[in-house]
Amino acid sequence: MRTFDLLRAPLLGRFLRWRYSRFVLQLPLLLVAFLALYDGFFGRQLAPKNFATVSVWLHYRGFLVLAIAVFGNLFCAACPMMLVRGPTRFAKRFLPQFRWPRRLRNKYFVIALTVLYLFAYEYWDLWASPWLTAWLIVGYFGVAFLVDAFFPEGTFCKYVCPLGNFNFTLSTVSPTQITARDPARCLTCEGKYCVNGRVETAAGRKTAREAGPAEGIRYPGCETRLYVPEIKTNMDCTLCLNCLRACPYDNVALRPRFPGLEWLRARYRLDVVWLGVLLFFAGFMNALGMVPAYYRIAEGLSRLLGTRNEAVLLLVIYALWIGLGAGLTLLVATLADRLSGVRQTAWKAVRYWGTGFFPLAFAMWAGHYAFHFLTGWATIVPVTQQALANLGLPVGEPDWTLAALVPENWLYPLQVGILYLGLLASSYVLFGRARQRDHFLAGGVVFAYFFMLVALALWVLAQPMEMRGTLLLPPGSR
Amino acid sequence: MRKWAWLLVLALAACQPKHGEPLQAKVRFVPEHPTVGKAEVCIEVDPRVEYTRMTVVGDMTHPGMIPVKAEAHPAGPGLWRVDAFDFNMRGDWVLTITAYDASGKKYTKEVRLTVP
Repeated sequence: MRTFDLLRAPLLGRFLRWRYSRFVLQLPLLLVAFLALYDGFFGRQLAPKNFATVSVWLHYRGFLVLAIAVFGNLFCAACPMMLVRGPTRFAKRFLPQFRWPRRLRNKYFVIALTVLYLFAYEYWDLWASPWLTAWLIVGYFGVAFLVDAFFPEGTFCKYVCPLGNFNFTLSTVSPTQITARDPARCLTCEGKYCVNGRVETAAGRKTAREAGPAEGIRYPGCETRLYVPEIKTNMDCTLCLNCLRACPYDNVALRPRFPGLEWLRARYRLDVVWLGVLLFFAGFMNALGMVPAYYRIAEGLSRLLGTRNEAVLLLVIYALWIGLGAGLTLLVATLADRLSGVRQTAWKAVRYWGTGFFPLAFAMWAGHYAFHFLTGWATIVPVTQQALANLGLPVGEPDWTLAALVPENWLYPLQVGILYLGLLASSYVLFGRARQRDHFLAGGVVFAYFFMLVALALWVLAQPMEMRGTLLLPPGSR
Repeated sequence: MRKWAWLLVLALAACQPKHGEPLQAKVRFVPEHPTVGKAEVCIEVDPRVEYTRMTVVGDMTHPGMIPVKAEAHPAGPGLWRVDAFDFNMRGDWVLTITAYDASGKKYTKEVRLTVP
């Protein structure tokens, strides 16, 4: 007896199976991107009163974690940047085509880009600048176009896009996953169409490679090269549902699942685990960057190093924190290995125990984003009104007092709840892995480390907020 | 195609609602460097111009924050004051001072400050 298949649910299933369902999901986000560009470039340069900053830094991020928690990687499915696909298919006819370098076919390049992006976010205060936010959108579309024009489809999503890879990593907590309805059917599939694409030509059914430029109805396969019966994780799945349309045997399902099984069974590569570790520590840093302790650390570091150069100070803080996180993780994972009687390299130890960081990384970001989203969710109404009014549309007077979704005193308990749930999910992974080795204490050591990190995160979230763009105060202003 | 795009941008920009004229004013705070809590905002304007109303709206630079609004009251020739403006959070603030003259004409000034 197999579980429920969302692709066969009465209305939702019919919509998801529809050829243009992805386009329908992309279209609203494309319109949002256009409005964000317009307001970002031409609207008032005040972050809480500009559609670009409110939609990108408040609602996009808030809805993203919500969608991942209750459904799956919907925001990759609805990614408007993939609408560059039409122009790039045309451009590909004239441009030379390259293969993505083998050395970069992992998550290390994405890790580097993510660190660069987080540095840029803090250094240029992207959240406070509608103009820079608009340029970020332009840049994102531009890079998506360039990578897609010169490299195979899916390269951008899998190896370049920091946002997509953020979604991939966090969607390991999602309650749904693409799977084969009947894995046995895939064994006799002649073309593995879900991954290779399907072309129905006059001469019969072919894979995209076999068909070449031949005329026919084309159903592209998985852009990130996932073979449906072998999918054990949501990592790299954009939920584009190409597999569903490419499979001639209607053998693709989107099933509810218990994500804990993925964390226990999937064998993530080391680079994937490091991405999860990075996202936790980066999420922590992102929250820490909004409390007074962070500025005190920066002031202290400034005195110690004798510099007021914010780029240098930020680089040092990031390098120290992420370096400390990576080092401690290596140390604790190795210690847990030794305790369980396993002697292997520290990297392998991280690969084994580091999986526990996935739910914790989700909880860290979800807790932080939930705060911003819930405190300011209704601000989207007046900023949209104002942006549309700037376009000359009669939308009434914006009410700037619209803001919070829940009373302020609910926020911290909610964040505590999210982080404890994350810790609970992590402990399931850690003790599950410890049980596989029949050594409970090994899991306990890593759990103690995670508990300390969560306690630290809760302390950060409990601090009064300080929303400042400058790392150091001008001399004499305190 | 590009010509049409530019025309569209120009047409849309032309529809933008009019923002106020710049307000010539000096703004100071008591205490001079406000901290979290209430502070006095003093707005010195040209006493020859007769303003009928003045508002101060404080926004933080992070999206999603509720603005703090206050009505200034006249406190002498060319001087308007908000007695207790509520800087309710540490961080970067943008104060928008909006004044209206007798004909209803709007003047605005933006002041940025950091509340430690």
